[in-house]
Amino acid sequence: MIISCFPTGIVNIKHPGQGIMDLSGAGFINVVLDMNLCGQAVELEDSAALNACMEKFFHEAGKHQICFSAAYAPCLPRNTKCTDLQEKLEETVSECIRICGRTGCRYLVVRPLFAGLPHGVEWDVNRTYYLRLAETARAYNVMLLLENQCRDMGGHLVRGICSHGETAAEWIDRLNDECNEERFGFCMDSGVCNICGQSMYEFARVLGRRLKMVILRDCDGHRESAMLPFTCAFQRQSQTDWLNLIRGLREIEFEGLLALNMTDTAAAFSPLLRPQLLAMAKSVVDYFRWQIEMERFLEKYPRRVLFGAGNMCRNYMKCYGEKYPPLFTCDNNKTLWGTFFCGLEVKPPEALKEIEPDCAVFICNIYYREIEKQLRKMGVESPIEYFNDEYMPTFYFERL
Amino acid sequence: MQIGVQTKNVVYDSNPGEGFEILKRSGFTCADFSLNSYLLNSSLYKFERNDFFSMSDTELENFFRPHRDGAEKAGIWINQMHMPYPNYVPGAEKEFNDYLWHVVAPKSMKICAFFGCRNMVIHGFKLAYHLGSEEAEWQQTAGFLDLLSPMAKEMGITVCIENLYTGIGGHMVEGPCCNARKAAERIDGFNDKYGAEVLGFCFDTGHANLVGIDFEEFITTLAHRLKVLHIHDNDGIQDLHQIPYTFTKTRENTSSTDWDGFLKGLKKIKFDQVLSFETAPVLTAFPDALKQKTLRFIADIGEYFCEEVQS
Repeated sequence: MIISCFPTGIVNIKHPGQGIMDLSGAGFINVVLDMNLCGQAVELEDSAALNACMEKFFHEAGKHQICFSAAYAPCLPRNTKCTDLQEKLEETVSECIRICGRTGCRYLVVRPLFAGLPHGVEWDVNRTYYLRLAETARAYNVMLLLENQCRDMGGHLVRGICSHGETAAEWIDRLNDECNEERFGFCMDSGVCNICGQSMYEFARVLGRRLKMVILRDCDGHRESAMLPFTCAFQRQSQTDWLNLIRGLREIEFEGLLALNMTDTAAAFSPLLRPQLLAMAKSVVDYFRWQIEMERFLEKYPRRVLFGAGNMCRNYMKCYGEKYPPLFTCDNNKTLWGTFFCGLEVKPPEALKEIEPDCAVFICNIYYREIEKQLRKMGVESPIEYFNDEYMPTFYFERL
Repeated sequence: MQIGVQTKNVVYDSNPGEGFEILKRSGFTCADFSLNSYLLNSSLYKFERNDFFSMSDTELENFFRPHRDGAEKAGIWINQMHMPYPNYVPGAEKEFNDYLWHVVAPKSMKICAFFGCRNMVIHGFKLAYHLGSEEAEWQQTAGFLDLLSPMAKEMGITVCIENLYTGIGGHMVEGPCCNARKAAERIDGFNDKYGAEVLGFCFDTGHANLVGIDFEEFITTLAHRLKVLHIHDNDGIQDLHQIPYTFTKTRENTSSTDWDGFLKGLKKIKFDQVLSFETAPVLTAFPDALKQKTLRFIADIGEYFCEEVQS
């Protein structure tokens, strides 16, 4: 999985040096080429203006070896009243494709046309639009990604074009069939899913391999903000259903691009604090990748043992015990030694000193760092990994 | 096409006939009987229940006879009712859930039949968090429907599943039955299995609005399977059960709920059932002195809807 970050809110397009330096400093080596940095589609004069606008950005990015796996084409505001911009949009997007080709950018997110389209004609109009774009995309070896949309209903954002997973999958398949190649894929915007109150598990599951990119952003579920995940919380709970996002991406073994968009959070922070904010943001995206790829850590080792004989161990055994069986578990609680928990013998921590070097210890207890320190101090030399049950495929109805 | 409204906050056990008379005078010919008022969801989620449904069949019939007779006398047809919900409480004792399945549910069906009511609305189980997927969740609801379906067939009742929401950090997201395609397939499967129209759909406009569902597309996909409506409005944030056209979100002051899509959908499928409003909270918001006028206004909106759908 590739991690990337939108530069909006971080990079000033007229003076891109510092923003790119901050992104690079935080460890983001891949940035989304968001052409909206130059203004939305209605604000662009022509394709030459787009090129001129991005010139400095490319120059600065090059200095930091920043690469681009995906780009985002200029789009229209959701509440636009302009219904005659199709030609201009097509011209702008075509130029974006050429820019992608020149910069080695594999994917370009192109929102479906929506302005002024009544129910029932969306597919026909967009089919023509996308197939015309496909010709240029083929020439520049760029894959076009459709994205789930919301629709402005008197200020209330509701489900729009491609917001239904099954319909989105059908669109991609039909377009690829007509192109006789995989020229189209999908980009799932978690913010739009959240605004539309959708289960991202179902969305991701239906899209499967068609899903090439996921935009990670938090919001309150009503307004279209782009915040750092976990920051939009209420009553000690996140307002975005991260559980179902992670469940879905884990199930389809997502290997695409995970792109953080925290435009509003970043812009709201003082530039003085932005380096620290971006370091935190990188940790957050890394955490998502770790959660999504959890099974890969489990299958990485030929043998494994657990540390902990509580709820987390029970959840491990429920969801992964059969596929990745541990040899035993251990616990600091002496009263458990020699007993069996979820079919595993509970041994004292000392037993970990005798395991094979290729056998990993998976800590199943939230006091990860403390336990890891204890084990290292004891002389355990085997690999130590953290298991986490916050985002399990299923849960017990009750905790122990 | 007829117009109906919830009995809650209008029809009281002390003198049910009077409430039905008010409904009739306000312009309604149908009512959605609020059977769920007799066993509240707020209690059930706390693992608490009363013994209302422990009454014998005869006792329950005697209890509801004044309601049935009052409705009949007033010329109100109870076309739909709401079963108490949830019918499964995660984490509750087995005996507690057994009571909901094997006592509350069958007795609700009998009460429905006693009223001569053809549609019973139920809530699908909210278990996706625990079970991991909507499909696994549906399997549990399907088990419950398998319990109800033979009764439904015998009694000539259609059990209606409803689009629901669930909350995450105070934000409403889709719950059971929010996928119209799946709902249609499942309804057809059940009806084929039982050889009768034992399962249908109740489209709740307010719940749909909370999770941004496209009304027109949803209704069109359901088509003839749509038997019952819960019409009400909200701000897209909370389940407020207000009068249609109440909410706007911009200075242009156009409705932030897609009532146009709602009417287009009903028109497309040639909906000819009852336009039923689930707007009981409106009646506590307005002063009692305005209750009749408020109900009249709701009925007027129903008449407008009726004209638009039939035009």
